[in-house]
Order: sequence, then structure tokens, then C-alpha cells
Amino acid sequence: MKLLNLLRHISLKHLHLQKLQLVMAVSGICLGVAAMVAIDLVNRSVLKSCEDSINHATGRAVLQITGGEAGFPEEMLERVQKLPGVEYAVPVIEATGGLTGDKERALMILGIDVLQDHHIRDYSITDESAEIPDPLLFLAKRDSILLTRTLAGQIGIGIDQEVNVQTVAGLKTFKVRGLLNPEGPARVAGGDIAIMDVYAAQMAFGKVGSLDRIDVSFLPGQDFDTMKARIEAALPPGYDVDTPAGRTRQVELLLGRFRTSMRLVGCMALFVGMYLIYNTVSISVVQRRREIGILRALGGGRMQIAALFLAETLAVATFASLLGMALGLGFAQASVGVVAQSVTEMYLRTSVSELVFSWPSLLLNAGIGILASLIAAVFPSLAAARVTPVSAIRAVPYAADDFLRGWRIKFAACLCLLIALSCLVAFEVASPASPAKNLGFVVVAVILLLLSISLITPVLFAWTLPLTHNLLAFCFGAQGRLAGLNLQKNITRNGVAVAAILCSIALFVSSANTVHSMRTSLFEWFDSIIRADLLVSSGHPLATGGAPTIPMPAEMLGEMEKIPGVQSVEPFRKGRVSYNGRKLMLEVFDVALRMDYCPAMIAVGKRENMARLLPDQDYVAINEGLALKERLRPGDSLVLPTPQGPVRFGVAAVIVSFSSDAGVVWLDINTYRRHWRDPLVDTYEVLVKPGAKIKEVRQAILDRFGGERRLFALEAAEFKVEVRKILDRSFVMTNAVNIITLVIAGLGIIVTLLASVFERTREIGILRGIGMTRSQVLAMVLIESALIGAIGGVLGAAAGIVIGWIEMEGMIRVDLGASIGYHVHYAALLWALLLAVGLSALAGIYPARRAATTNIVEALTYE
Amino acid sequence: MNSLFVTDWKLMLLAGCILALTLFIPAPVQAMSGRQVYEKVHELRTRGLDRQTEFTMTLFDKGGGTRSRTAVEYGKKAEGETYKVLVVFKTPPDLCDVGFLIHARTFSDRDLWAYFPEFKRIRRIPTTSQDDSFFGSDFSYDDFGGPPNLDDYTFTILREEVLDSRPCYVIEVTPKVPRKWSRNQAWVDKELFVHRKIVSYQGKEPYRDGTFTDVRIVDDLPTPFRMEMKNLKTGHRTEVAIEEIHYHTSFPDDLFTQRSLERAGK
Repeated sequence: MKLLNLLRHISLKHLHLQKLQLVMAVSGICLGVAAMVAIDLVNRSVLKSCEDSINHATGRAVLQITGGEAGFPEEMLERVQKLPGVEYAVPVIEATGGLTGDKERALMILGIDVLQDHHIRDYSITDESAEIPDPLLFLAKRDSILLTRTLAGQIGIGIDQEVNVQTVAGLKTFKVRGLLNPEGPARVAGGDIAIMDVYAAQMAFGKVGSLDRIDVSFLPGQDFDTMKARIEAALPPGYDVDTPAGRTRQVELLLGRFRTSMRLVGCMALFVGMYLIYNTVSISVVQRRREIGILRALGGGRMQIAALFLAETLAVATFASLLGMALGLGFAQASVGVVAQSVTEMYLRTSVSELVFSWPSLLLNAGIGILASLIAAVFPSLAAARVTPVSAIRAVPYAADDFLRGWRIKFAACLCLLIALSCLVAFEVASPASPAKNLGFVVVAVILLLLSISLITPVLFAWTLPLTHNLLAFCFGAQGRLAGLNLQKNITRNGVAVAAILCSIALFVSSANTVHSMRTSLFEWFDSIIRADLLVSSGHPLATGGAPTIPMPAEMLGEMEKIPGVQSVEPFRKGRVSYNGRKLMLEVFDVALRMDYCPAMIAVGKRENMARLLPDQDYVAINEGLALKERLRPGDSLVLPTPQGPVRFGVAAVIVSFSSDAGVVWLDINTYRRHWRDPLVDTYEVLVKPGAKIKEVRQAILDRFGGERRLFALEAAEFKVEVRKILDRSFVMTNAVNIITLVIAGLGIIVTLLASVFERTREIGILRGIGMTRSQVLAMVLIESALIGAIGGVLGAAAGIVIGWIEMEGMIRVDLGASIGYHVHYAALLWALLLAVGLSALAGIYPARRAATTNIVEALTYE
Repeated sequence: MNSLFVTDWKLMLLAGCILALTLFIPAPVQAMSGRQVYEKVHELRTRGLDRQTEFTMTLFDKGGGTRSRTAVEYGKKAEGETYKVLVVFKTPPDLCDVGFLIHARTFSDRDLWAYFPEFKRIRRIPTTSQDDSFFGSDFSYDDFGGPPNLDDYTFTILREEVLDSRPCYVIEVTPKVPRKWSRNQAWVDKELFVHRKIVSYQGKEPYRDGTFTDVRIVDDLPTPFRMEMKNLKTGHRTEVAIEEIHYHTSFPDDLFTQRSLERAGK
């Protein structure tokens, strides 16, 4: 008997007869693969967009010199230009502006030396206009700006027309001197970029005398390492001299956690899909016992039988995976915009114009889908191979072999649990620099833990089910008792359905708990640091990468304090500073003022120590994540690069701050200005006098400054609403995949119950024959279904709480510190249970209706 | 027959004498080499460094759009190869008082600065930019500088050619150090030793075509009053028309300082 013949004559017939089962199996694999493909494509596209932005903005530069976000003195440019071997060294200002008017949007501003920058970057000025762009006029006028043709088209503006842009110096009118074709830097940020001359950009964005970056190219034949060393030697310590590829690596690191968590969710969807395949093949084995027996009696070998089932799975999985690839493309297309927006809000500005399509990646994901299906089919296929001709003819129930409750499975479950715990312990005790402090360990631990729980689920199910019998009988009468007993008859198969629900609910609960914990901790933290009534900024106060946060001049403070109803105004400035290869978040404020009214959360050290941050004392406070990674404690010190050279700062305290994964440094604004020479302010935090109305003060502030600049004045409550929105958006993809996972689990329940109904056709006929009504049969099957969901839900919720804690420990606390508490989201738990029961009941409707409509006579003759 | 023989004999003797003379009499003066032609060009340009020029620069795009500006150029020759040039734009109003200053220490070593009144700051233009566009025109900073250092180039006369009724040397000028252009093909007036046309090549492709017309003799110096430079790749062209020029001027040194640049030569 050749395998192909068997497939053609036996499998095709079976697949044709069991169309519904086939559709369920295909849907499950298809959705699992689609989730993985979508996540992979979205991840790649977002990363590629970030990398492209860097590369387009980098051009032919071999090295880039940076010195912190506040910039560095422009005298450094001449130093670099004069170095032997340097071909071109060009200055760059990078800022964010906001286009105002009807079509408001954030705009990346690139200030370049128009006379030289074409040596590093390619610009192509569109010549579609009658008036030619005039480079001399562009240079001579400080209101000159170049827009991309894409952007100009979108906002309906042309050459020599004016645009209003929000800058540090307030609202400014710029004249469009030319339009850039979509090449080189004009492709950055999806075309939402404007080019200015470097000196005009300095004036508009409060960086007179400073540069953000120097891009360097070498003369031919220069040795890279020699040149890098030469440049580093020519600059004061603390400057970053890195390749554009180095900046790309930093982006990869920045997005690393985001991408890994997305991948983990994708894997889970496939993991749940594996249960579906397992159940589908198992059911197929049950339904075809007689056929298997006959084949075995006709001389079919055990391996031939196993190969037949595996080949069927291979065919179905291949077809489903190909469909999954196409569906995944659709999912990715639909979700990439939301994910890009979330990345922009939380990490750095990105704009994905197209999906990065990669055949190897698509095929890899399809291959993983096929492999996962085959792995899931191995056990039932081997079980099919063990079917003897005699047992098949006697119709011994499939569950009788009880493989999944055997000692091997229990041993495997224990082994998985042991390895998972070992990974977790290794991760917990490892030092920050150790290779064991790797996110991979956490991911492996989570997967193994789920596997372990899944393997032990039939056993847990067998223990739990008898406990429900009396309750079911009490609540639902005879049909309730029968439902419990029916499930008991086939613990293994039903246990697998429970495991599928368990995994889905575990994912749902762990996600919900993680989000809830972050949200709760963030709000507690905000409450501790934000005591102001109003947050005044010229952009979104939470923006890190996308929305236009245009710094404001320090002089506004005095003006704001004069507004009636204002009690005090505190300046806040944030930036980045390099430390041991990481870009730490620098948070700068008036310590003296803040100590009066703001009880900052101190993790290590005394509150009195915060007084060391006061002006003229070179002290900082650092957050727990940084303290943990760098093993710093109060009393230690760290050297930070400043535009005036490296400065040693003492650590006054370890504080709670969740502003950045990379680490947070708090600094007094006077100390900051002394070292960084940066007079700008990102946010003014306004405390309103007792008795004064916040809304009136807010309006007065907007009236006072509204003519000069566009201001956001958010009340603290509004601010928190914005935080919630951003957090919610960041989990949109996770939630979408969780839903897919739940759908796959639902499909698993349908398959399981359908098989159960088919198997019990005769039994249902007898029940109907002895007087059970259609509605009672319907209720019985629905109760079975809901019970699978309820038990899966309870077990899944418990597993989800544990997995959520692991995720917090491995993915969140490791960066943000131990103070970020783990909070169980009880409402989400309730929702999860309701969802599990509801979805399962929904999945049971079709099998229940089928059972209820069973013809008694046909059922009694069914064999 | 005999007389004929005698005649032949005399003729042969005469031819032999002529041959002998041609072998022993020195050859007449040879045609000029490319380098020699350029030395003459160089000499005239050096003599014309002390000058004041008022000119109009018009930029044309390939679609017919134009932008015009007027400027005054002051030049001063000093010791050896040293010279200074100051260019100040007068119109349009947006460009008024924008300035450009050259301090040449030698013919191949010079500092360039530009001044933009709105920014109130002087910008240094790196010497590596000498072949870059002179403020968006199709001329380069180098075109507005003084005469080049002849030792930095090789000169080869390719042929002689009549261009616009003027006999010219066609000379290939090749830089010895890498430049934006790989070679120039220049048409130099055989009598006046001024450029009539220059085509610049990048590799084998011509990328810039300059013509110099309306040549007039001003203070004994031949001067093209219309210069046009066309970028063959973009279709843009720039025309410079001299409105007025005076040679042998004698400006004070403080006209060519950075302070003077900031004050637009005032």
C-alpha cells in the first residue's frame, strides 16, 4: 500500500465527509500562522522604517558625532573639519516642529549646511514650478524652508507660499523656497520633514551656537579605526562617535522588548493552534478506528498508519499555512499603522509607508506553522498506529488508551516545569551583565510553563470534574449531571480542549494584569511626581518620539508667574545623555520647588538626601533600573558627558521613575544649566493658588501666550487620560492576537464537542427515545461546552496570574525597577471567566443543535 | 636633349643646395604650447585683479523661470600671488548686502567666507567646496576666484579652431589633483588670450558648458562682458552680464576684511 494511494483513496474521502472538521482545523492553523506572519511583518516594517529614517538622514556619512540632546558647541565642527583624512564634516540640527493651521502635524526639522550638505546627503529639488528655487535666497533669509513634495501636496502648499510652524521661539512663518523630491532625507518620517539652513534652525529652535550632530566622511584610503580614534582624540570626553549602523543598533535595542513581547504573543497563538490540531487528528483517529483496523488487517504496518495521519496533517497544514500567509498580510496591513503610531508615541518617531515583504520570512512562518501542526499530530498518529485490528472491530473507546494521562506525560510536564523554574531562577539571580539576564530566558520560561500546565491539564481536568457533578445536578438537573458524566467519559480529548482554553485565557489574563500593573504603577508614580494643577507645553506632554514637543524659552517662567491665580511655576526639561552605551533619560526640574510640594517616591536612600540635588552641588538621583544595571547606590558616583566635558555626579538617592527603560537621571535645573548651557524648558508645571479656578488660570495662560505660540495646557486629570490612551494603543496588537487565540480555542471546542456528539449519536438517540426532549439535549451539550470553558477559564486565569508576574519580572521590572508593583486585574479575571464560558457556550451551539436534532430511529441504527 | 640635360643638372644642384640649407639652417619659431598659452591667459587675468566690476547675474531654469541679482565685485592684487576679492550683492532687496570674500595666499591656497545680514554672522566656506555652485548659480566659487596655479594642471593643445569668427586654441586642461571635473576643454582666443568657451567633463561626459562673448578691450585688458554657464545635466544656466568694469583700481586693504564684509564694503 503506497502512501499516496492511501491518501488518495482513504484520506480524501474522509476529508470530504468531515468538511466541517477540516474547515475548523484549517482555520485554526491559518489564524495561528496569520498571527505570526502579521506580527513578523509589522515588526520588520516598523524596524525597517526606523532604520530607513536613520539611513536616509545619514546619507554617505561614515561617522556621526553626537553629544547629548542639548547639543554641543559648534566650535567642535571646525576641529573635526581640520583633521587630516576628513573629507567633509557637516553640521546637523535635528528638531521637531509643528505645522499649524488646518492640517496640524508634527514635522521633523533637519537643519543642514546648505553649502556643503550635498556632499553627504542627496537632495533633489523638484523643478515643476515656473519659479526656480533660489539657493542664495534660501541661505540669506532665515525664514527659508524646504518641504517635501509629498507633504506640500498633502497640505496644499507651493513654492514661495508661507507655512506656520511652531518653534522654540513661538509660532513662526516660513517661506517655502523649494520642494524636495522623495529622495534621501526627504523620505525620512514619511516625508513629514522640512529642511532649513543650519543657522536658521539654530535660531528657530533655540540652539544658537550649538549643534546636535556632525556627520563625517573620510577621504579615500583612510583607515576607519584610525580616523575614529583621531576624531575621538580631537573632541572632549563624552562625545559619541558612532557609525550610522551603531545608531540603527540602538533602535533595535530600543524596540527589542516591544518586538520580543509581540513575537511571544504570536507564538502563543500558534501554540493554541497546536491543541486544535492535536484534537482534530485525535478525533479523526477515533472516527476512523474501524478503517484503521481494516487497514491493519489487510497488512498495513503501524508506521504506514502513522505516516498516513501525518501526511494528511502535512497536506492540511500546508494548505492552511499558505492561506495563513495571505491572511497575515491582510492583518499586517490593517494593524501596521496603529503599531507604528504606538512606537512613535512610546519610543521614536516612525512612519511606515509600506510593509516590508520578505518571502524567506513568510515561508519561515508558514514552515513553523506546518512543523507545529506535525508535532501536534505526532501523538495521535502514533496512537492510531497502536490501534489493533481487534480493538478497532470491538470499537474500544479511543480514550481508553489514556496516553495523555500516562506517566510519560506527567514526567514531561514535571520536566518542563523544572526547566521553566530553572530559567526563572537563573534570570532572577543573574547579575545585570550576565548572559542569563536575557529576555530569551523569560520567554522560554513562559512557553515551558504553559506547556507544562497544558500537559498536566487532562490530569487536572480529571481531578476537577468530579467536584462539579453535584453542583451541575443541583443547578441543571439531569442534563447537568449527564453533561458532567459525558465529559468524564473522554477526559483526554476534553482535557485538550480545556488546555486550549486555558492557554488563551492565560494569555488574556497575563496581558490584562501586565497592562493593569503598569497603568496602576504609572498612575501612582504620576501622583507622586505631578502635583501641579496644569502642565503647560508646546506639544504633547508625553511625547517621546512623535508629537511635536517644541521646547520653550526660560523667560516664559517669569511671565507665567505674573498671571493671576498662579501660585508657582516649575520648569521641566528632559533630554538624553549617553552612559555606558545607553541613552539615559535626563529629567531636569527645580528641586527646591519640587521638594516643597512633591513627595517623590524614593526607593533607596532618605528623602533628606534629595537636598543634595540643590543648585551648585553636582548630585543626581537615579531610578531603580539604572541602579540595578549599573550597581549604583546612594553615595556612589557616575560620570556624565556634558557639552563642557565629562562631569562626575554623586548619587543622592535611588528614586522611582518609569520614564525610560534605559535608565533615568534626575538633576536640578540650575545644575543642568550650569553644565549643559541649555536654557530651554519642555514643560511648565503650574500650581494654582487655593481658591483660584484651574480652568480660568488655564485660559489666562493660553490667552497670554496664545498669540506667540501654540500651547497645550493640560489638567493633571486630562494628562492621565492621555497616558491611558497611549498605553491602550500600545497593547492593541497584543489584544488583537489574544482575540485570535481565543477564536482558535473556540474552534477547538467546536471540534471537540462535534466529535463527542458524533461519537454519542446512538447514546443521544437512546436518551431521546426514553423521553429526553430536544431542549434537554441542547442544554446538555451546551453545559458540557460551558463546563469545558469554565474549567479552562479557572485554570487559565490562575496560570495567567503567574505568567503575568513572570512577564512583569522579566520584561518590565528588569528595566524600570522593583517598585513597579504587580497588580491583579480582578475585573479582567471576571471577564476572562465570562469570556471562557461564553465563548465555549457559543462554540457549543452548533454541536448542541446537531445533537438536539438527531433523528431517534437513525441514531438507534447508527454504528 | 643636351640642353635639357644641362637644365636638369642645374635644377638638381639647386634642389641639393636647398636641401642642405634646410638641414643646417635653424628651424623657424614653433607654435605655442598649451602651458604657454595659459601663461598668457594667466598674465592677463593677474593684471586684471585690481578692478571694480558691476554685474548682473541671471539664473534660468529649463522651464524658462528666471531670477536676477546685481552685485559689485572689488579686487586687489598684493605681493606675489596674494590677492583679495569682495563681492557684495545689491539686488534684489532680499539679497542686499549679502557678501562673499576671498583671501588668496597663493593661487592655490585661499580662504572663502560668506556673510548673510539676517544671521549677522560670517560663514566660512571650506576650500573643499571650491568646485561647488556659487550660491546656486552654475558658476563655481573657483570661477569667481583669481587665476589658478598653473602648476596644478597639465595643458595640451588639441587643435586650432575658429569659433564665432575668432581663431582659437583648443586646449585640454587636466587637474593633477582630484576635482569635481576630470578635464576642461577650453577655447582660448589666439590673439586676445581670453577664454571664448570652456566645456567641463566628468569622466567622458560633458556636464558644464561656458561661453564668453562680447569681448571688449578695457584699459588694455580684453574682457568678456557676457558669460554664460550651462549645466548640461539639469538644464539650468546662469548668465553674468558686466554692466561696468574698471581696472587698475587701488582699493585700501581694509575693504577686504571680515568687518568690511559685514558692512557690505561700506
